[in-house]
Amino acid sequence: MSDQVPWDVVVIGGGNAGLVAAITARERVSRVLLLERAPAVLRGGNTRHTRNVRCVHDTGDAYTPGVYSYSELWGDLCAVGDGPSSEELASLTVRESASVPSWMSAHGIRWQPPLTGTLHLGRTNRFFLGGGKALLNSYYRTALQAGLTVFYDCTVEDIEVSGDRCTGVVVSRGAAGRSRIEARSVVCASGGFEANLDWLRRYWGDAADNFLVRGPATNDGRVLAALYGLGAARAGQERGFHSVAIDARSPRFDGGIATRLDSIPFSVVVNSAGMRFYDEGEELWPKRYAIWGRNIAGQPGQIAYSIWDSAVNRLFLPPMYGPAAAGDVAGVARALGLAPDAVTATVAGFNKAVAAAGFAPSRFDPSRLDGCRTEGLAPPKSNWARPIDTPPFYGIAMRPGITFTFMGVRVTREARVQTTDGGAFRNVFAAGEIMSGNVLSSGYLGGFGLTIGTVWGRIAGASAAAAAREES
Amino acid sequence: MTQGPLDGIFAEASRQLTICNACRYCEGYCAVFPALERLSEVTQGDVTHLADLCHDCRDCYTACMYAPPHEFAVNVPAALSAVRRHSYDEYLPRFPWAARPVSRRAAMLAAGLAAVSVLALLSVLAGGTRTGVPGSPYRVIAYPALLAAVGLPALWSVLVMAGSAARYWRATGGRGLASPGALLSALRQAAGLRNLRGGGADCSYPTDEPSAARRRLHGLVTWGLVACACSTVAAAVSQDIAGDPPPYPVASAPVLLGVIGGAGMVLGCGGLLLLRRAAGHAAAASGAPREDAALARRGYALLAGLLLLAATGLLTLVLRDTAAFGPLLAIHLAVVVACFAIAPYTKFMHVIYRFLALVHDSAESAGGGPGKRA
Repeated sequence: MSDQVPWDVVVIGGGNAGLVAAITARERVSRVLLLERAPAVLRGGNTRHTRNVRCVHDTGDAYTPGVYSYSELWGDLCAVGDGPSSEELASLTVRESASVPSWMSAHGIRWQPPLTGTLHLGRTNRFFLGGGKALLNSYYRTALQAGLTVFYDCTVEDIEVSGDRCTGVVVSRGAAGRSRIEARSVVCASGGFEANLDWLRRYWGDAADNFLVRGPATNDGRVLAALYGLGAARAGQERGFHSVAIDARSPRFDGGIATRLDSIPFSVVVNSAGMRFYDEGEELWPKRYAIWGRNIAGQPGQIAYSIWDSAVNRLFLPPMYGPAAAGDVAGVARALGLAPDAVTATVAGFNKAVAAAGFAPSRFDPSRLDGCRTEGLAPPKSNWARPIDTPPFYGIAMRPGITFTFMGVRVTREARVQTTDGGAFRNVFAAGEIMSGNVLSSGYLGGFGLTIGTVWGRIAGASAAAAAREES
Repeated sequence: MTQGPLDGIFAEASRQLTICNACRYCEGYCAVFPALERLSEVTQGDVTHLADLCHDCRDCYTACMYAPPHEFAVNVPAALSAVRRHSYDEYLPRFPWAARPVSRRAAMLAAGLAAVSVLALLSVLAGGTRTGVPGSPYRVIAYPALLAAVGLPALWSVLVMAGSAARYWRATGGRGLASPGALLSALRQAAGLRNLRGGGADCSYPTDEPSAARRRLHGLVTWGLVACACSTVAAAVSQDIAGDPPPYPVASAPVLLGVIGGAGMVLGCGGLLLLRRAAGHAAAASGAPREDAALARRGYALLAGLLLLAATGLLTLVLRDTAAFGPLLAIHLAVVVACFAIAPYTKFMHVIYRFLALVHDSAESAGGGPGKRA
């Protein structure tokens, strides 16, 4: 049995970071094994729901018209949340991102022009043809053609360590049961713990019960927990996560992109008391959409409501479950289970503050920060503020939809997992969401998860191959 | 435009398309998704239009994270193929004297009878008028009889197809037939089978792996059919304008075009039949629903019919100097008569509906196509 001969590199996790690591390793050593938790039809974890990657490019092309320089991406990264966790590793990520698109093309990925309805992303983000599952299909094809082995339906039960060396992993594979896999080096690319509600509850309390998870239920962080148990050092904040506003009717797990709501910059958002609580027009949507999961998580009952009118109804992607609609604001409020008087008063106050700022329809421009704002309103709406006065009116209830958690293992520049005693494992590496806390603190920048996965997948794959050669 | 509630297959297609419109990842594959995004609400006519824009390349299915076993259960090519099958029946013309359109079964029966009559007629005439030189069809059948035997069912077909097309066009709210730009764009897309390119990814057909086989083989059939039609026109020109009766030498337009076209059709149809079989095996192995079962049967039938048409024609031409020529020509003519008579009741109609859908789409997207946007 091949399981008896040690594998050069065992990669845990068959999403973007794991595949990039496995393909990179296979270009350097011969025996590479990829362990995927899901069955083949559901392979790829959160990558299934991705659609673009944010990279530095010094020239424009058909897919990303215009320049996006190192300093601009670095500036964007510093402007979200508390900025980068580790300046060294974050700047390495940004610098390495420049060669990511060509690497992806060389490994079977095709591109498409920016999707319609994705305002402001066209210059900075590159869309892969067909989205994340198509990307996964291409990478798996490339990987299998390169001769690496994939085990599906494979759950890692334990990671065996002797001193600072990993010797193998124990897995269970459905009907095949438990077995031990001997490895010369291991790459952990198994994602965050966002689907582990008990774990989230430790940091969020009962609020976690109202969180919806945008990716599969298998993202329970068991490999991360195992690494902590072995003495791996922590990187990132306990409450760090990428979380967006999604339709409150979405499934508990795996709703993905179709349940996301992009109505916020064109609407007012109220909480269950019918009160506004945050500037809906603070920044361009791709730079601010990721704060809204956190915003809603901080509201009573972890729920909020986006309310808009017919004048802006076609400016964002149409919600999958459709909005509540009514001839007046009170009707929308009633349909959403809110107090009609409170919501009507909030909208009237908002409209007055828009008029006070001298709103002119000709200045309203969804494609840029248009300066259409409120006057004398707290909190203000700084852009795209226009009166909500054209029936029918629409509204949708929203919950925090968690994409992935940031807290993970601390790594070196070689993606080597560090330990709490100040050392590092000799042959254990990490890539992707499980080490994203080295780069991200509390905020998120659209498309940067794929960037982290690809950059660190390459680093971890190459480091693991080198470690395997030393071990053999 | 057909309004009213969306039920059954339309409700299911519409449910899935609502998810697609909130996602849009597949926008780069074909014309269906940009067309969907232009709609403010989706009517039954719109779903029909989108169903015919879909070329069943299956790229959106293999790329879909919401495909079964996901609870959203999205399988757009399968859902749209059910709508297509429905529309192939729905838009057959209603004749003033009949409450319902001629049923497919009645049409098949009539075509079978016509073919048998032609065979019987030819065997009674046994050798035809014997006035032509060896290798001339007129030794087997007189020119007026040939014209009537082939022309009458062809005329019938053209009338039924025109009626179907008109009803389809009304139902889908079609526009663009008067626009040279839209017509040209539709022709270009049809000629190159652009919607089978998958935005550069080719088709996920017959398996889930990308392959250009279907587009290439379909191209052989399309252009083979065009070459055969040109061969017939060239023969008519030679005979009726140049006054030069058949048979024509090997190095003539009618013979060369006929041989090339016939060979292309035989290869193309044969290849597509094999691909269909492989697709069936792949579907059975994966358990994922694919093309509507009735539509798949009609797909086989169309390919088998075209293969028979091309093969008998090719044999008649190649063996025209042998004793087999008479019987072969009789069989070929019987196949031609049958094919012409039943065409509007078969999947042949996809040619008409797809082209109309492409014209409509080109008009809507102002000359753009998949991948382009306003």
